[in-house]
Order: sequence, then C-alpha cells, then structure tokens
Amino acid sequence: MSPDGSATVGLPAKADDGDWRRVHPASPFVRGWVALAAVGYFFGRDAFERMLQGRDILDPNLNGRVPWLLAGGGILLLLTVGGFILSWYFTRYQVAEGYVRVNTGFVFKQQRQARLDRVQAIDIVQPLLARIFGLAELKFEVADAGESAVRLAYLPLDQAKQLRATILARAAGVVSGPETPEAVPEAPEYVVLSVPPSRLIGSLLLSEQTVGILLGAVASIAISVYTENGAIFLALIPAVLGIGAAYWSSFNKGYNFTAAISPDGIRLRYGLLDTQAQTLPPGRIQALKVTQPPIWRIFGWYRMQVNVAGYGGAAGNENAARTTLLPVGMKPDVMRMLSLVLPDPGVEDPERVFTSGLEGLAGLGGVAGLGGGTPAGSGSAGSTSTDGFVTTPRRARLLAPLGWRRNGFLATRTALLIRSGRWWRTLVLVPHQRTQSMALQQGPLARRFGVADLVFHTTAGPVVPRLYQADVEQAVQLFDQQAARAREARKRQTSEQWLAEVSGQAPPQSLPQAPTQEDPQHG
Amino acid sequence: MRTEAIDPPGVQWLRVSPKYVTVRLVEWAIGNLVMVAILSLPLVFVQLGWWRWPPLWLAIAVPAVMLVLALWRLVLIPRQVRAIGYAERDDDLLIRRGIFFQRTMVVPYGRMQYVDVSVGPVERGLGLCTLKLHTASAGTSAYLPGLPAGEGARLREQLSARGEARLAGL
Repeated sequence: MSPDGSATVGLPAKADDGDWRRVHPASPFVRGWVALAAVGYFFGRDAFERMLQGRDILDPNLNGRVPWLLAGGGILLLLTVGGFILSWYFTRYQVAEGYVRVNTGFVFKQQRQARLDRVQAIDIVQPLLARIFGLAELKFEVADAGESAVRLAYLPLDQAKQLRATILARAAGVVSGPETPEAVPEAPEYVVLSVPPSRLIGSLLLSEQTVGILLGAVASIAISVYTENGAIFLALIPAVLGIGAAYWSSFNKGYNFTAAISPDGIRLRYGLLDTQAQTLPPGRIQALKVTQPPIWRIFGWYRMQVNVAGYGGAAGNENAARTTLLPVGMKPDVMRMLSLVLPDPGVEDPERVFTSGLEGLAGLGGVAGLGGGTPAGSGSAGSTSTDGFVTTPRRARLLAPLGWRRNGFLATRTALLIRSGRWWRTLVLVPHQRTQSMALQQGPLARRFGVADLVFHTTAGPVVPRLYQADVEQAVQLFDQQAARAREARKRQTSEQWLAEVSGQAPPQSLPQAPTQEDPQHG
Repeated sequence: MRTEAIDPPGVQWLRVSPKYVTVRLVEWAIGNLVMVAILSLPLVFVQLGWWRWPPLWLAIAVPAVMLVLALWRLVLIPRQVRAIGYAERDDDLLIRRGIFFQRTMVVPYGRMQYVDVSVGPVERGLGLCTLKLHTASAGTSAYLPGLPAGEGARLREQLSARGEARLAGL
C-alpha cells in the first residue's frame, strides 16, 4: 500500500516482514461524520428554518454577505476534509517481528507499538455507520487498565478479520517466519451457545434495574396521590426517557449474543445495530463471576462476568458489555462456558462441584469449627461439608445470619472457587496462576467470632474475589496453600504463547470435541 | 513482635523504624489539629456574640468530640506503627498492619511489576523512606512506610532482583 511508508515517518528500516499499511480511506469520514454534520447544521439550519416558515430560503438582508458566508463555509469544509485526508494519510500500521505498530498524527506524531505475545484481547467493533460501509474497527488490548493499546479504525471487515487472525496466530506462536499476513488462515470456530432474544428481553425485564424502577414508580404515584399534585409526572419524563435509553442500550448490546470456541480462544459476538466480536485468547481471563439475582432463580438464569487485564475497570455501558461473558444463560450454558474458560477444572466431577458452587448450601448442623476450638482442616473435606466447600463456622452465624451456610471456598488443582450470597447467589472463580496477591483481613467483630476475610487481588474489572467469614485457621491455611499453589501454577505456565507451549498437541483437531464432550453431562 | 491469629505461622516479622512514629505524629497534627481548630470557630463566634444559631452546647460538643477522637488516634499511633511488619520469604513478601482492623498481605515476587521508593519532607529529615509495590492489580495497595533509607534501598534492589528471577506474565 505504501512502499515508501517507513521512509516518510523516519523509522529505522524495520519493515522487512509485514508492510506498512493504511486504514480504509473512508474511515475519517465515518469517524468524523459528527464534525461534518455539525458544519452542515451550522450553515443549513437558518435556511432550513426559513424554508419551514415558507419564506425565501436565503435571508433577504444577507444579499451582500452571501459570497463571504459561502467562502467561509467552503473553507471550513475544506479544512475538515483536508484534515481527514491528512489524518488518514499519516495513519499507518504494521505487524512485524512480534510487534504491532501504529503511527498517527501529522503535527504531533505518535508511534505506538505493542508486543503481540502480550495481547489480552482483540475486539472487532462495527458501529452502525461503519457496518453500512462494510468497515470495522480493530481493538488490541494489552495489560494496561487504560484505553485500548491499539485501535485501527476503520478497516474493511475482511481485512480486519485477516489482521486479527494474523495477530492471534503470531501471538500464539504458530507463525514465526516472515510470511505475509494473507498467508494466515482464519482459525475455525465452533458455536457453543447463543442467547435467544426472548430470554434477553425477559432478563432485562426481570433485572434488578426493573425492581428499582417499579419501586420508584410506586413511590412517585404515592407521592402524587398524597400531595394531590399531578405535575410530578411531568418532572419524571426525562427519567423515563433515560430508563428507556438504558433498556434499549442493554438490548442493543446483548442482542444475538453468541459464544464460540476457536484455537485462538473464546469468541463472543453480540449487538443489534452496533456489532462487536471479542476474542479472548486462552488463559487471559483473570477471574470469573457467576451471579444469580433472586428473581432470575425462577427461570434458572445466570449471568457471567470476567476480569480481563486489557478491559480495565472503567465504568460505562460499553465496558460492562465487554466484561460480560454471558448476559443471561441457563445452567447448561454456564457449565459450557466454565468448561471453555477452565478446560481443566482440576476435579473429577466438575459438574457437581460447580453446581454446589452455584446453589449449594451447607447443612444446618454447622460444619467446621462447631466446637470452636479446633476446626477441621480444609484438607479433610468430609468433615467440612458434603459438597466439599468449606463454609463459615456455625459460631459466626450471627455475623452472617443468612449467608453462613453459603459462604465458602473450594480449591481444585487449577482454580479456587468462592461462593457467597444466599439471595444474590455468586460464584467466583480464580485460576491459580492468575492470583496476583492476597490479603487476610480481620476486624474486631470478626476476631470476636474467630473468622477472617481473604481478599484476592486481580486486575481491574467487575469481579472482586473475596472469601467472607472463613474460620481463622482455615483462612490462614488457605492463605499459605494458595500462595504455594499460585507459585506452582506459574511455574507450569512458562510461555505467553499459548500454542507454542503445547506444540506437541494439535489444538485445532482436539477442539471440535470440546463442546460435544461436555454435552453428555448436560443430558 | 507479637504474632496475631491471622498471621501465617512461623513467620519472623521485621519491624519498621520506630522513628516513623514522628512522621505519623506530624501527619496527625496537620490533619486533626487543623480540623479541631476549624470546628472550634463557631464556639468562638458564639462566645463573641457574632453568631446566634449554634447553641452553646452544640458549639462545644462538636469540637470536643473531634478532640477526643483525635486524642484517641494519637494514643494509637505508636501501637499502629509497631503493628506494621514485613517478612521476606523465598517466593513472596509478607506485609502486615493494623491493630483493630488487621490485614496480612502476600505479594509474590514474580507478580511485582515495579517498586517505588518515595521520601516525604518529614521522612527525609529522619532518614526514612516509603516502599510501594505494584502488581497488575490495583487492589494491591502494598506499601511499607517508615523504612530506614538504607533498608529501603536494599529491599528495593532485593525485590527487583527476585522479581526479575521469578517474573511471570500476568
């Protein structure tokens, strides 16, 4: 595309494998259509209003100034378009030598490079306008809680997919030679599950948000009846609009949610008008959370959210959608996703363990530490609980009158499972090699009851793993064991290049079976 | 140093410098005395007859309560400083603090992204420094205040070297 690319930007001649390329020429217009629309609006509004009022399109008092105005508008338009063209011309990218590099800017130049083997996630985003033109934006995330490391907006969709395949293949360690990007075939993918629109609508209508809105509505009706003042409803119009927009946005984001597995990792696609395709390479999920609000229990629905290093913890609708692994799903869907995230659960009967993690409850008799003095160690699972989870000791039931039978943990060979919440059921899962650091915390009240909280620190995101009110001795034991387990797991995981690591096996062949293997278990 | 219930067994804690009490005292004085002084202003105004609103008992009670709380915090400072401890193990660093709300934390060397050493004006005068460890998690607020400058530098080098040897990805 640009043979003289590396020369113009004064780079050292590194472009030997992988040319410098440019994004699609239309992309600044797609990205900056708001600016063009603003220019148009500014000059067109007056004429348009006159037209509506049935007067001359041009102000008669304007006679002498028309050329000036036209010239001004023309110059503004020219500057905008010129800026677009320049920004397009100076935006270049390259995938080479294990790096992806992007050059932008013509006044303030910026060169950015990100290591391919540090990729945490790749997204292909298609806003509505870009979708009409068949364009897509590629977002490349590395472990930095801020903005995306590399954003390429916009590429033709095919090219974006091709580039994603190239980046993922190189990051996986499959391609090492200086091949052109076109040589890398896209990894095959197998659809694992999808969320029907009816369930999505149901989940939105039965969300916590709806309960809040209903309560608010009841309160406002009560107030208006009590004060005999109907005008209060007028004041609520903006709120209603906002609520409608929030529901629409959730629906737009969650529509047609599909999860698929490919050798590159987990693929998530969703969106009604704006579509997005996320790719999470294997082992990039730092922590996972399965939750079930009380109303969802009627239908047996669950929601899954993840922490991924590149996505960060920023609030906002877009990020909330990106960190959602499953907006709403039945239990078999949850099991299937868990088996994708954690291919080796590290226990013999993952189905039973995850089920008791999702809805399990310890017996009423109290499990560990009934005597208060010498609680059973977490190793002797038989004495702790029938399902293997070590729960809050009975003596601390005043601290957590509802949750004490539910709060608990279970360590498998590969991950730690933490469950909590009697009504808002939550299961948190942290793979051992992803544990960053841990802290044991104990306040005066907890000390009085001989319990402690264990907090796990992971990258920023919606999941905050915390083990509530565990028996002190068991918590300390877990603290020590978990440090050792994390150490062992890190030693096993040697390379960031996930396919180079297991080069003996042939993942593309073994993968088609992955979903079907799970199926018999779900009946 | 006394070992609390939530500390892992068999850990030999190292304590931070007792001089760190002075740093905390200065911080306490700046924070609390200014607060008490500001809250005492209504009392002065009421006494001078400029203000009518806060009744005398309220004007006295608010700064008095604040003063008691401040004194309570002052009394706790030496014990809090004594409760800060750290221990270098083979593969991780343990940090503990707190008397009422205790917290024991483990940071694996391989998880450390970088190590900060910072020195404030009071600390500089006393030859102390604060060491801060950063992992990929924002939740890891692991800092060790009140280290003697030499020990801080040693620890920084030691942690960096060990972190490099055991560096893992994320």
